[in-house]
Amino acid sequence: MSLVTQGLPSRRRTRVMRPWDWSVPPRGLAYREILTVEPDEPTGRPPLLMVHGVAHGAWCFAEKWLPAAATRGFRSSAVSLRGHGGSGGAAQLGRATSRDYVHDILQAITEMPEPPILIGHSMGGLLSQLVAERYPLRGLVLLAPAPANGAFGTLMHTLRVRPADALAVMVGRTLPMRPDVLFTSLDPVEAELLASRTGRESAIAQYELLRRRRIGPVRCPVLVIGTHDDQIVRPVDVERTAQMYDVEPVWLDGMGHDVMLDADWQRALDTVLDWVDVNIPPGTPPLGPIERG
Amino acid sequence: MTLVQSDRPVAEATDRGDAWCVIGAGPHGLSALKALLQNGIDADGFEHEAEVGGNWNFGADNSRVYESTHLISSKPFTQFPDFPMPDRFPDYPSHRQIKEYFTAYARHFGLSDRIAFGTDVVACVPVDDGAAWLVTVRDRATSVETTFRYAGVVVANGHNWFPKTPQYPGQDTFAGQMLHSADYKGADVLRGRRVVVVGAGNTGCDVAVESAQNAVHTWHSTRRGYYYNPKYAMGRPSDQTADLLLALRLPLWLRRQMFKATLRLTVGDFEKFGLKKPDHEFFETHPIVNQQLPYYVGHGDITPVDDVERFESDAVVFTDGTRAEADLVVFCTGYLVQFPFLDEQWLNWSGDHPQLFLQMFTPAYSNLVVSGLIQPDSGQWTLAHWQGQTIARYIVASRERPAVAQRLRDRVTDEAERRFTAGTEYKDSTRHYYEVAHQDYLAALEATIRDLEEPR
Repeated sequence: MSLVTQGLPSRRRTRVMRPWDWSVPPRGLAYREILTVEPDEPTGRPPLLMVHGVAHGAWCFAEKWLPAAATRGFRSSAVSLRGHGGSGGAAQLGRATSRDYVHDILQAITEMPEPPILIGHSMGGLLSQLVAERYPLRGLVLLAPAPANGAFGTLMHTLRVRPADALAVMVGRTLPMRPDVLFTSLDPVEAELLASRTGRESAIAQYELLRRRRIGPVRCPVLVIGTHDDQIVRPVDVERTAQMYDVEPVWLDGMGHDVMLDADWQRALDTVLDWVDVNIPPGTPPLGPIERG
Repeated sequence: MTLVQSDRPVAEATDRGDAWCVIGAGPHGLSALKALLQNGIDADGFEHEAEVGGNWNFGADNSRVYESTHLISSKPFTQFPDFPMPDRFPDYPSHRQIKEYFTAYARHFGLSDRIAFGTDVVACVPVDDGAAWLVTVRDRATSVETTFRYAGVVVANGHNWFPKTPQYPGQDTFAGQMLHSADYKGADVLRGRRVVVVGAGNTGCDVAVESAQNAVHTWHSTRRGYYYNPKYAMGRPSDQTADLLLALRLPLWLRRQMFKATLRLTVGDFEKFGLKKPDHEFFETHPIVNQQLPYYVGHGDITPVDDVERFESDAVVFTDGTRAEADLVVFCTGYLVQFPFLDEQWLNWSGDHPQLFLQMFTPAYSNLVVSGLIQPDSGQWTLAHWQGQTIARYIVASRERPAVAQRLRDRVTDEAERRFTAGTEYKDSTRHYYEVAHQDYLAALEATIRDLEEPR
């Protein structure tokens, strides 16, 4: 038996052995904030779970997307990772790693009535891919996702355009979340208010974004969304992420990095939900379509 | 055991086409059913009880857990890797929490809708030269029998439910009560009695400890000395420490020395408690995890004794000459593997146990697979998950890339005797036929899955 992959050196292979997860498991969390908005009546649509990015919290989805998605018939939830938003673990944020965050997402998923469509923004987009390689998601939506092949290019880019921000990240401070970095066309007062709600990020988790991650096979439908006016995640990285899943990225040009909050948030949400209705239509069984003989 | 023959004409069977049948809705049946559905394979499950959980369905006919049962392995390796146990569960959850966990798993993945509960499988018979299986089931409420035709069968009926009871001279004349641990549900039966506990599996040790807490006196009969591992060492569940040493890729001899050193530091020399010195190396028998047994031996509540020699009307006599005037004997002597609905030869029976490639695949039929015939030196359900995934990938490969599936079939015949011991030699005992070193076994499953995912 040959285990050598033939002519496909980068083919993604199932990973079974996870010795560090067995021997040094992520710490449990006493309270995890999960905000949910239910539709008025059941519609047979799969539930949504949204995961925020660096220094954000579940609030960034609760603001616009959760109620609007529920109106369209989706049970919509957003989770705050440990030390973020209303979740516990703020005191231990300094030692939080991406592995802890993946654990937080999996814990939120197992509390849901059925497998969700996972929607990850920025760092949450990278984390969602790490979840997708080990859990049978209904679908995976990546909003301006942090690149799996390492954000070193992003850091260098930031060093050129906003040197002070890049230096802050290098010394372990949280990437500054100013309104002009997150939004393009939001009302300035609202933009200032929303940006002020961002918190701190774990330095370890932020450094980990620079590392190249090997993502295992993902079997569910994938949607990758980016914008050419993103001040944080570069379009070239969005393209690479889309390539990993053999899909074309969908561009929401004119919008800033926080597509769930910027002025045009409804267009962004409709793009996601229209894709869901086509690719994971109402009534799709929890574990995906079945081949019948 | 006699060959089960269906005298029904084939035409009467409901044809389920490409669908597979999964027998049992314990952890292995559930994870196999989920893996099949997840990989686009139609499948139906059958379960004797009205609920999922199998052995962990406390109080059910074939459940062998007792009131005080907790996991002896901690959460990280015990749970399904894609459905971790909730953070609110302790390191070592109770059987009630485990049942709750399996129920949540079945509900979350929509498995309960695919399982016929309260239904016994009475016969599985291959038809058309093994191209399909006729599965006859009986509804327990109505006794109505139905036959279905399936493309294949996954057997996950468990291996810890049919009691193995040894026979000793004079046993018939014994005036006291004899009980197999299969029927032990809680400490009430021990209260105020003089108890002999036979066997030093994890159940034997649990019962001996409960007996020490409730009975007048307890004798604990074991064939040999064992290593009684603590549940915690240095503030961490000890199986996690064991996995840490594996993650660091330390060699077997060094891991052995470190374990023995830890035991010496935490518990001390077993002989000083009056326990027998282990006659074997660490890892050569299934691990016993019990911190309390040496404690109660030290308190004099448990008298460790040798093998049973004979029974008298009012006493049990052991090979070391000890005579225990007892009125209750609890046999914690393990279980035998039974497949009441299958012919043994289809599972490549060798002596008193089946010999299966990867403990799952039989050379006799390409569409008959067993899940759960393993006893790992670790938690179990990470292995259950990957056994299910291996089966599902194999079925997908058989349908879409027959040459890839054939590679596995070739190995089924060639490597049926392969064991996964990670370099140790297990002590011969029926309980060790199914023993696997978890890291060794899982690495073999990973290699198999990756090969089955090859394009050609």
